[in-house]
Amino acid sequence: MIRLLVILFTLLLAAPAGAHKLKVFASAEGTDIVGSAYFAGGDKAAGVPGRILGADGSLVAVFATAADGTFRQGVTARMDHIIAVESEDGHAARFTLPAAELPSSLPEGKAAAVSADTAALEAAVARQIRPLREQLDSYEERIRLHDLMGGIGTIFGLFGCWAWLQSRRRGP
Amino acid sequence: MAHIPDGVLSNPVLVAGGILAMAGVARGLRELEPVRVPKVAMLSAVMFVASLIHLPAGPASVHLLLNGMAGMVLGWAAFPALLAALLLQAVMFGFGGLLVLGVNTLNMAAPAVLAGLVFRRLWNPAQPRRAALAAALCSGGAVLLTGLMVAGSLAASGREFEAAARLVVLTHLPVMGIEAVFASAAIGLLARVKPEALA
Repeated sequence: MIRLLVILFTLLLAAPAGAHKLKVFASAEGTDIVGSAYFAGGDKAAGVPGRILGADGSLVAVFATAADGTFRQGVTARMDHIIAVESEDGHAARFTLPAAELPSSLPEGKAAAVSADTAALEAAVARQIRPLREQLDSYEERIRLHDLMGGIGTIFGLFGCWAWLQSRRRGP
Repeated sequence: MAHIPDGVLSNPVLVAGGILAMAGVARGLRELEPVRVPKVAMLSAVMFVASLIHLPAGPASVHLLLNGMAGMVLGWAAFPALLAALLLQAVMFGFGGLLVLGVNTLNMAAPAVLAGLVFRRLWNPAQPRRAALAAALCSGGAVLLTGLMVAGSLAASGREFEAAARLVVLTHLPVMGIEAVFASAAIGLLARVKPEALA
């Protein structure tokens, strides 16, 4: 019995967070796409398989998120990239990384006339503001009390309308 | 998880789920007396809130479904109640999606209705203690069945059933436990003080 409980508990530990909504966030650091996958509310999504697609839908790379939900993948072309993650229990999320975020030294961009200084500066700035952007992105997902209250009110309103229509149809 | 997002299920599954959910909602609304509407609204609101509040369960975070309890109190009216709750969650928070609304409603409401039917079979107004026990059984079973139906919808769309089922059911074991305790307390109390609310 105890053994069974221990097995169950370890299986639970291995299972990823069962939150509602998977989210993925990515930004460019030099020629790498760096990002993280997490569940709405902030829990990290570890070991989730993902794909990086090109602007035309072609497969660029395949990856799996690390234990802290992050991933890093080098790319070779300057174009829009779509990062798609999908877990086995049916959560899925996408994020589009615009070409403009990737350094212009990559092919398919404008003329590669960027000095090493500019590239280093771009990389440094990208690294600095990444936590901020991640925070903003996850903040959008936070459920606030007034959202909850609004939802409850709407439900009562909907059923109130139904009751009113019904009572009119059936007569006084 | 009961909230399957858009873009995961295949079209035949979406259509089949939509049609079955529509039939369930139609039946629920037809049987709904205006005097029972506030009860439906209240349970709809309870489910709306319950499944937005995440509980830490060890390293995973899960949320209550409470569909079994809704089914025991509402019967077929659980369909419109869940449709309203899921619709608002999809529109306001992006949990689930509009195209999969039918499948999600069916996955949660069908076990709810079944729990209600089984509960009525087991319930005996003369034995309130037995009502609490039956409520625990039915609500736990409803959560389990919802998990299996979610895994089934994924499998019907070409996913591997076992992996999905194992993940969904395992993360919902604590939910089953919590809901069983919660429902047995709530329904047990109702059975003792206001048995007509369950009839």
